[in-house]
Amino acid sequence: MSLGGVLVTGATTPIGERLCRSLLADKSVDHVLAVGHHPPERAMPFAHGERLVYRQVDLSRSRAVHELLFGVARDLGVQVVMHLSMHRSLSAKGSRVHALNVEAVRSLIALSERHPTIRRLVFKSYAAVYQVQHNLPALITEDHPLNMAGGAPQWIRDRVEADLTACTRMGLADLDIMVLRCAEVLAPGTGSQLFDYLSTSVCFRPAGYDPILNLLSLSDVVHALELACKAAGTQGVVNIPGADSLPLSECIRHWGRKGVPLPDILLSPLYRMRRRLRGAEFSYGMNRRRFHYAAVPDGTRAAELLGFHPENPIDWPTDSHL
Amino acid sequence: MPISPELAQRIAKRFLSPADQAWAEGIPIRDAGHGYDSFGMHPAFVATGLAAFKGFHSHYFRVKSYGTENIPATGRGILTGNHSGTIPIDGMMLWLDVLINAQRIPRPIADHFVPALPYIGVLFSRCGMVGGSRGNVRALLNAEELLMIFPEGVPGIGKPYKDRYQLQDWRVGHAELAIRHQAPVIPVAFIGAEEQMPQIARLDGLGKRLGLPYLPIPATPFPLPVRYHIHYGKPIDLAEDYSPEQADDPAVVREAALRVKAAVQELIRQGLQKRKGVFR
Repeated sequence: MSLGGVLVTGATTPIGERLCRSLLADKSVDHVLAVGHHPPERAMPFAHGERLVYRQVDLSRSRAVHELLFGVARDLGVQVVMHLSMHRSLSAKGSRVHALNVEAVRSLIALSERHPTIRRLVFKSYAAVYQVQHNLPALITEDHPLNMAGGAPQWIRDRVEADLTACTRMGLADLDIMVLRCAEVLAPGTGSQLFDYLSTSVCFRPAGYDPILNLLSLSDVVHALELACKAAGTQGVVNIPGADSLPLSECIRHWGRKGVPLPDILLSPLYRMRRRLRGAEFSYGMNRRRFHYAAVPDGTRAAELLGFHPENPIDWPTDSHL
Repeated sequence: MPISPELAQRIAKRFLSPADQAWAEGIPIRDAGHGYDSFGMHPAFVATGLAAFKGFHSHYFRVKSYGTENIPATGRGILTGNHSGTIPIDGMMLWLDVLINAQRIPRPIADHFVPALPYIGVLFSRCGMVGGSRGNVRALLNAEELLMIFPEGVPGIGKPYKDRYQLQDWRVGHAELAIRHQAPVIPVAFIGAEEQMPQIARLDGLGKRLGLPYLPIPATPFPLPVRYHIHYGKPIDLAEDYSPEQADDPAVVREAALRVKAAVQELIRQGLQKRKGVFR
């Protein structure tokens, strides 16, 4: 069955680029409309034919989104929107960032609902929207409480709002909406907090705690997105766990770093100083709870609805030495 | 964790008998990647726990078990018993007893504050403990695990010596779960634990500041070498009388919980009758 055209936002990110390649390899996809913020000459650095069309669009502007959907997307007969675009930097704040993270989701859904060809929208959300707490389940199902803490940084608040924006529109129109709450993708360029945390040779962690983390590989997240793209007629919220569930200390060890346990009280100021001095992305304050208590997304619904099973572990740098 | 799984494995090999070693190497686990299950349990730590504490079970508390044939060899189940002793050694003894007698890893369901305790929370979770939330328990029962639940909770451990062997407020969560997931409940009675460490006072305020429900002031600085008698009763198959939908009916759940409580109380009565002395 032909999928028609697929629109991929965030196409210049590592996940978006891989998804575009993967969709192009699938003959049932007529066209891939890739959207990113890079100029065309710097985007999609791989050989592709006429089935790939790239557009540089600022999704934070609703007029630009309208023109994209009712212009080139309609002309290409786009049936599925894969929305991956979200500001990756923790330090990015303000209304422009909010417009990209949240308002773009709102615009895309509102416009897709009345679009002549679009039938399906898949939104790549984050497992980071979940609340992590010692008295909450360690195995997180889709009905787990969300992180609605008032003091949470915009990075989290925007993700929760965008996720809920997509959820509230489910079942209200002819558009099938699927929200994939993906575990953290441990790879460069994905906005992974853990990747930045592991970029130093010594990683400090809270003494007395060693929570289980679940991490997703690039291959698995792309595979899940592809399955969601093709799962016509299904909608809902689905967790996408990774094939790697391991304690923080093991994660540090597998990454070839030295883990040093320190009293919790020292870690926030230490990592705040690191952020200021080195412009690093990792915020201990934002990750404090997941560095204390286990949080593993439950993939049962993903298996049932999408047939997704994480199969590709992360390519750990030290695996060859173990 | 201060020790790696490799070190844990070496410790277990050093102290376990060849038979226990062979068993420990074949511990079945739903590996969620890297040898750990989703709740953080790792077979090497289970084996180390067995190696480290087996002496307490066999030599210090000289545990005598009765009715071990009632422990289900496979499939889901809930071991439910009285809780006492100022510190929860009864939980550890039950964990060891099931490991030794049934070759199954029971999953202790702990109060919310336990996973939040530094070091202890990690060590316990490596050995199979899981924080007591509905979602965690549902996942374990769906995976056909054997759970350990103490419906009295902290008030059971913290009761004064004069109230020994009197069941405290009996929570109903275990009955609801058993009905909803159609799991048998195995009543368990501990005889001996109530006398291991008589509590003379408790400091609630200081305990809360330390992240504990209270700080006990025991009459003895360490647990006395009382003899533990663990009695396993016949499994109560609530699925025979109640359908999963009835788990939402508070009256049904209360009734089922009272059946379990009565079975535990009866086991305690029989156990106390048979016992010849606190240390015998």
